[in-house]
Amino acid sequence: MIGRAHHLQDDRLFECYLAGLDGTAVDRLVAAHLAECAACAAHLRELVNFMNGLREEAEADTDAIFTPERLRIQQQQILHRLEHLGHAARVLSFPARLMGRRMAHTASRIAPRWAIAAAAAGLFVGVGVGTLIEQPRREAPAAIAPFPLVVSPALTAGDPLPAGDDDTFLSDLEMALSGPRNRELMPFDALTPRVQAVSNQFP
Amino acid sequence: MSDPGPVRYPASPSAPAVAAQLPERRRTPGQPSDDTRLAVEIRELVERGHSNEARERFSGLVAAHQRRALRVAYQYLRDSADADEAVQDAFVKVFAHIGSYREAWPFEVWFTRILINGCLDRRKARLRRDRWFVPAEEASGTDEARRAFGGASDLDPEARLLARERRDRIDEAVSRLDGRQRTVFMLCHYGDCTPREVSVVTGLNESTVRVHLFRAARKLRGLLGGKP
Repeated sequence: MIGRAHHLQDDRLFECYLAGLDGTAVDRLVAAHLAECAACAAHLRELVNFMNGLREEAEADTDAIFTPERLRIQQQQILHRLEHLGHAARVLSFPARLMGRRMAHTASRIAPRWAIAAAAAGLFVGVGVGTLIEQPRREAPAAIAPFPLVVSPALTAGDPLPAGDDDTFLSDLEMALSGPRNRELMPFDALTPRVQAVSNQFP
Repeated sequence: MSDPGPVRYPASPSAPAVAAQLPERRRTPGQPSDDTRLAVEIRELVERGHSNEARERFSGLVAAHQRRALRVAYQYLRDSADADEAVQDAFVKVFAHIGSYREAWPFEVWFTRILINGCLDRRKARLRRDRWFVPAEEASGTDEARRAFGGASDLDPEARLLARERRDRIDEAVSRLDGRQRTVFMLCHYGDCTPREVSVVTGLNESTVRVHLFRAARKLRGLLGGKP
């Protein structure tokens, strides 16, 4: 394990380092060599410094994040969780469930006949009051309407639409169809039978 | 392992300095650690129904392992909120299953295994989430700000920036390690586990753990140019 140049190889030096970690003994020959060879002792020192440096960096890194205050809070959280360990989970009582429970409790105390009679009476009273309120509104709709309704005489049911409006509507439609956004729809439009063609085919 | 006879480090002028630089270990090989004994006590308290006392004792374990656990979880998840939740979940799970704890395993090994499994589950869940949704930032802005300014508030801006760059370089180098190498390296260097403990946690042979660790260190030295 001792190299040609009579120096300890890296694995041997690392074993020495690990022996220091474990608190175990170093091989006597290696120990004797380290005592005599300054170069190997320096290499071991360098290795130990490197490994310790890595550890110190990691410790500093973690300590910067997990401050003593944060450690204390974490301890409290752990103990808090331990206190509730083994206990059944607390079930939150939601308002709907609470209401349902109350309603069930109340319903069991009231006789069903009273409930039905009260509901029927409420219904009759409601219908009666509603009828009384609606009656004047029907008699005077103009007074109730918030703004006057203007009904065009040309658009009454049964009358044909003026030809000029048709032309305007169709030209608007064509313009809309020829727009850039609708070009993708043109193949579908081509597939659709035209009214003109159908009426020509079936006069 | 526990033989005090052999020399730990040679008695050369430079060797004690090297030994002094090594991190101190809390555990004595072959002896159950204080945490293991405490975990056994907590288990017995829970079995006897003294839950309040068990919780009080458990807070000691939380305090003892919290920082290390957060370090490991954060290195795995790279998100402080995720790491926080993963550590909390691990402690709660440990307490909930303390009845199944056997002292054949050191407590820290048992706990670390639970923690890492939780972290891996979270990573899987995050990957699944990121596959279907727009991936979130790896680390939140708050994390970045704290990393940049929180830990080194006594340094001048240039030093802070350099420190941040150095950490980013290390993160990138560690992320380029092979999966097993990364796990072994993280457990050893961020989780303070010995190769034997890593072997128990990961189920790998101890010599395999050592080989992975050596290769990880060699690769990192190559990637980082010999300087952390």
